[in-house]
Amino acid sequence: MNDATLIRKNLFRKRLRAILLMVSILVAFLIFGVLGALQNAFSMGSGTAAQERLVTVNRINFTVALPYAYWGRIQQVEGVRNAAPASWFGGYYQEPQNFVQSFAVDPETYLAAYPTEIVLPPEERAAFLEGRTCAVVGRALANQYDWSTGDRIPLMSNIWQNTDGSQAWELDICGVFDDTEGTYPTNYLMLHYEYFNESLLFGRDSFHWITINTTDPALNDQVSQDIDALFANSSAETSTTTEAAFNEAFMEQFGNIGLILTWVIGAAFATILMIVGTTMVMAVNERTREIAVLKTLGFTAPRIFRMVLWESLLLSFIGGLIGLGLASLAAAAASGALAGFLPAFGLSLTNIVTALILMAALGIVTGILPAYNAMQVRISEALGKI
Amino acid sequence: MLKQTTAVTLLNLRSIPQRWGMSLATVLSIALVVGVLLGFMAMASGFRATVDGAGSDDVAIMLRGGAMAEMNSTVSRDDVRLVEIAPGIAAGENGEALISAELYVVADGIKRTTQTRANLALRGVGQYGPQLRPQFSLVEGRMFSPGTAELVVGASVLREFDGFELGQSIRLGNNEWTVVGVFSTGGSVFDSEIWADLGVIQNLYDRGSSVQTIRARLTSPDAIEALREYVENEPRLNLEVLSERAYFARSAGGTTNLIMFLGWPLAFAMAIGALAGAWNAMYASVDARTRELATLRAIGFGGLPAFTAAMAEALVLAFAGGLIGAVATYLLFDGVSASTLGSGFTQVVFAFAVTPDAVVQGVILALIVGFLGGFIPAIRAARIPLLAVHND
Repeated sequence: MNDATLIRKNLFRKRLRAILLMVSILVAFLIFGVLGALQNAFSMGSGTAAQERLVTVNRINFTVALPYAYWGRIQQVEGVRNAAPASWFGGYYQEPQNFVQSFAVDPETYLAAYPTEIVLPPEERAAFLEGRTCAVVGRALANQYDWSTGDRIPLMSNIWQNTDGSQAWELDICGVFDDTEGTYPTNYLMLHYEYFNESLLFGRDSFHWITINTTDPALNDQVSQDIDALFANSSAETSTTTEAAFNEAFMEQFGNIGLILTWVIGAAFATILMIVGTTMVMAVNERTREIAVLKTLGFTAPRIFRMVLWESLLLSFIGGLIGLGLASLAAAAASGALAGFLPAFGLSLTNIVTALILMAALGIVTGILPAYNAMQVRISEALGKI
Repeated sequence: MLKQTTAVTLLNLRSIPQRWGMSLATVLSIALVVGVLLGFMAMASGFRATVDGAGSDDVAIMLRGGAMAEMNSTVSRDDVRLVEIAPGIAAGENGEALISAELYVVADGIKRTTQTRANLALRGVGQYGPQLRPQFSLVEGRMFSPGTAELVVGASVLREFDGFELGQSIRLGNNEWTVVGVFSTGGSVFDSEIWADLGVIQNLYDRGSSVQTIRARLTSPDAIEALREYVENEPRLNLEVLSERAYFARSAGGTTNLIMFLGWPLAFAMAIGALAGAWNAMYASVDARTRELATLRAIGFGGLPAFTAAMAEALVLAFAGGLIGAVATYLLFDGVSASTLGSGFTQVVFAFAVTPDAVVQGVILALIVGFLGGFIPAIRAARIPLLAVHND
């Protein structure tokens, strides 16, 4: 019988107690994992690629449109490699409650703005560029409404009116796009700006934002200043920032989501710290005489210290890993249910590493005091205590 | 029997301090569960109170069909004229229909807490705008004069955003404005808005004579049916007619549901964790008193008093936890002002509200945790064999 067997036997000497402790640790890591994944969804779109792309919007506010002519002028600015204009379509499908995030874009420049993020098979890409009434749909959105290539759908707008008197634009779904490994949302639809614009009853020849790729990220500051200077003192002044900063500013408007999530995770961990901590102290106190016997048999104090610490680490890792596993399953399920509102989300490598560090920390913090107590046990006192 | 039960229960409760470590951990973990639940509920009910409180049954709001939100709607001057002669609408002082055609645009404000830019609603209202908000009152200053670049700001805007003090001049979009008054509508969603003259907004934001919504004071809440029938039978109108209450209830629903959709599952998951803690603590408590309980059995006490006493201990701990959680949440969060993006794509300022109803739900959750956590250990307490007297 080696130390590992002893540790295991000790941990499960009261099986129900060990299981209960594992359940509470499991719950804390489940919460940590799910909320961490949710936070990833909110901060998606602030990765490195987004830090290198620029976005130009109306300086008043991004809900106010910019004249169409700006597109051409921005393309002329030195350092601009690609400029992609887009308009907010405000789409819904059949019922106003069925919100469809949708943008009217210039297909060629828009796809060029996201060369690695948007993954579209070549033939679907060609079809989208060719077909005036074509639209491409992100995987998450396509799954939500059960759309597939070849479908023809009337997409209603809650903002725009069509010259035919309706609020609908007939669209052919020419393709479904994916993202590269959960780095970019696929919960929206793109349609041709030309097709959208030519049948607008009002608000023609304008767009809401323009996404810019520069020839060299080092030029970004200069390019944004040049663009904003170009339209200074005009009736529609612009504001150009990185896409990451733009996305963050938008998310910030919902409130300090990060702070709320931190509070909740903190509460969950404070709970298990107290429960596991006190139980471990108690569990070791119960064993005082046994430890004295071990010492009599020649177990050294450091060896006993290590054994108790390993026990609490084992407890923490069993509960933590199961919790983390369940969290990734739960995140996948919730991600499907919330596809319309949030991009697909899951646990990132950072989440997993942080969780592992937390498990180790929890094991050490809850084990250190009982381990010290165990080390201090005096044979004469403990065995004389009958 | 009753006497036995009381005696054992008191004995049990008085010995709690001997096991203070586990007991305190149980109380605090239950307090945290209740705290998390109440925190989310306070957020949801604060937001709902602000948005719902804005809606009145005898005000009708008309938007373009399918627009869902004011922001997306467009209503022409001709539409407004047709509505002016509609039935069911109350008359103002000089006999005109009591309606207000309104238009709002988004302006940037700087949040005091984070110093970040956030969307604010800049609403253009006509002369009857204030009369259509039952609780409208000017807190400071005066109303704007028609045709000038003057603003009145809601009390919440003044509280949460920089630069809107009375007499200040402020740049919104491309224009310079002067703040001449501060108004309150009793903490409703309108307090998060800035108001100016409709004509000036239409002019500065290039909207011609179009507006987004028409609000109308109804002669009675039932008169909305007459108005709706008129609008539906008038082929030149494509408007959706809603009572203001229904409109705001619809727009508050999404956000409050989202908050509760997060809050309950989280509290539930944490409750399972705390349940494990309570269960453990109660087991420890029963274990520690094995000899004591066996002795009681030996001198003639029944199993039921032991069971009841253990349950009482669990419920007392849980109740204390629930109460501490509720009080702490109340002290920390009640009345805390926060703002988020509302359905109109602009900030809605609201105050966290810890309601009595939520406190009751929190304490009930705590008691359920205590009951489930104490049940099995209590059964064990009742079944301790007499021979356990000899335990060391």
